[in-house]
Parts: sequence; C-alpha cells; structure tokens
Amino acid sequence: MVRVSFYSLLRLLLKRETLSLSWTPGLDVRQLLTRVQAEIPTPFLDKLLDADGTLIPGTIILVDRHNIHHLGGLATPIADGATVALFPPGAGG
Amino acid sequence: MSTTPAQRYARQLPVWGEERQRRLARSRVLVAGVGGLGATVAQLLARAGVGRLYLVDGGTVAWPDLNRQTLYGEGDVGRAKLSVAAERLAAINSAVEVIPLAGRIDESFAVPSGIDVVADCLDNWPSRFALHRAATVGGWFVHGAVQGEQGQVLTLKAGTSESLERIFAGLAQASEPLPVTPDGAATIAGLMTNEISAVIGGMPKLLDRILVVGLGDFHCAFLEV
Repeated sequence: MVRVSFYSLLRLLLKRETLSLSWTPGLDVRQLLTRVQAEIPTPFLDKLLDADGTLIPGTIILVDRHNIHHLGGLATPIADGATVALFPPGAGG
Repeated sequence: MSTTPAQRYARQLPVWGEERQRRLARSRVLVAGVGGLGATVAQLLARAGVGRLYLVDGGTVAWPDLNRQTLYGEGDVGRAKLSVAAERLAAINSAVEVIPLAGRIDESFAVPSGIDVVADCLDNWPSRFALHRAATVGGWFVHGAVQGEQGQVLTLKAGTSESLERIFAGLAQASEPLPVTPDGAATIAGLMTNEISAVIGGMPKLLDRILVVGLGDFHCAFLEV
C-alpha cells in the first residue's frame, strides 16, 4: 500500500486528509499522482502539474519525508509502504 | 508608575511557572521581518517578557499592511516599520530591550552573536533560505509562513535538522503580493510565539515537524520532515 496525505489548500479542496492506494512494481510519483486523480472526483492535478507535465512551483511533494526535488523528481520511485505528502505551503509573512 | 515582574506577569506565571519566566527574561530572540507575522510575534514576546528583541526589516508601513500588522496604525503609513515597532514595543513593555536592525535579509546578513532563537517571519523564500543559512550559530530556528487562511510553523535546530532550503526546495516566489487575512496571520503568529516560548523553556514541540493549520475548515495536521 501507499498512503498519500493532503495538506493545507489541497485538503480544503479535496475535502479529505489521506488516500491509500495499492502498490505496484515500478510505481513512481508521476504515476501515483495520475492514480490519485483517478480515485478523486475533484480535479486537482492541474494545480500540481502544468500542461507539459512539469511540477508547478508551489507544492512540495515529500516521499517518506524527503522532498522529491532531491530525489528523482516526478520519476522518484515509490516503495511499497511509502508515505507521500502533497503540501502547498504558505509563503507570506 | 512601576510594577514588579510578579504583578506584571501574574496571569501567565500560573501557566508556565517562574523558571520559564526567568528563561524568557534572559532570552534573546531575533525577529526577521516585522510584518504580518513579525509584528505580532514581537508584540507577544514583549508582552510575555522576553529579555531582548532584535528586529530586522527594511520596509515602511503601507495601507495594505494595516489589515494584519498589529503594531501599526493609519498615522504610521509611510514611516519605517522598525521605528514604529520599537516605539510600540517600548510602550508595551519597557523592560524589553529592542534592537532594530535596518535592512533586508540576503546572503550578506549575519545573525548577531548570542541569539537564542531566530524567528523567520519573512515574506519570501530566498530571504528565508538566506536567513536559515546565516542562523547556524544561534541554534534554534522557528519558521512561520501564512497565505490566505493557511499557514505552517516548523522548528529546526542547527547541526541536526534538515536545511529549510532542502525541505522547501522547488518553490518559487509569487511575483505579486500574496493574500493574507488578519486572522490567518494572527493565528500563525500566535502559534509561532507559543513554539518560541516552548523552545526557550527547553521543550520544543515542532522540532523537525511542520504544523499545518487551515482556518478554512479548521484543520490542523503534522508533517514530519
């Protein structure tokens, strides 16, 4: 299983805190996001990815506490049992 | 008219005790950014009885600041935030030493020696990252940020925690001013002040752990980093 947690505006938008999905060999972050969108009726992927499928700056994605920016980006592999956090942080002061 | 610490702090001493109060009085906190978060954090720390406050800001008070920047009023528009903040904080608690440091935080910024806690109340990621890189001496770093009615607080410790820049890597600063509500800023500032006080008391609650708060649905969640 893979557990996906939503934070801040994503939690407000999707009206849910988490989603658990079955793990499949070779799963990466991009594939996971697509599968999450397929499970959730509210469109949200356009807030994370642009038309080219590039991650939009504004949300951090953590796989087991590590920002995918330092891993393999959207191609970061996801292990069975992993926790993935989608967090659009506040930026103002 | 004068008073004693026991009288001035009579309503909080039953909550956190005399030892915490003594620690607060000995503490030096740097508040980076005296805007929506920093004005309230500085004010609450002054009311709590912190010993010394270093304030860093290079801005002037503008009309859009008045919805949330609690140290300023209409008559202050156009004045340097640091000057107004120093006046107001002195009026609130004359026992607190306030040291204004004018300017913006970039790669050239150096955290003064002897700081116990750095409070990141800034409004942009590049300055936040520069501040954290500079905050290697003081030890404790409490990050706060707000946007709309959402925000987060996180405590990092020099030497053991991940860098702020690594945790929030990949973010870009918006080109336009971000929306912030009065209650959103006050909520995050209050949580930051609570955590700063806890750090000073030796019991941080958010070390390597982001507290995410949203007023839109009153959610509260933790995210380990």
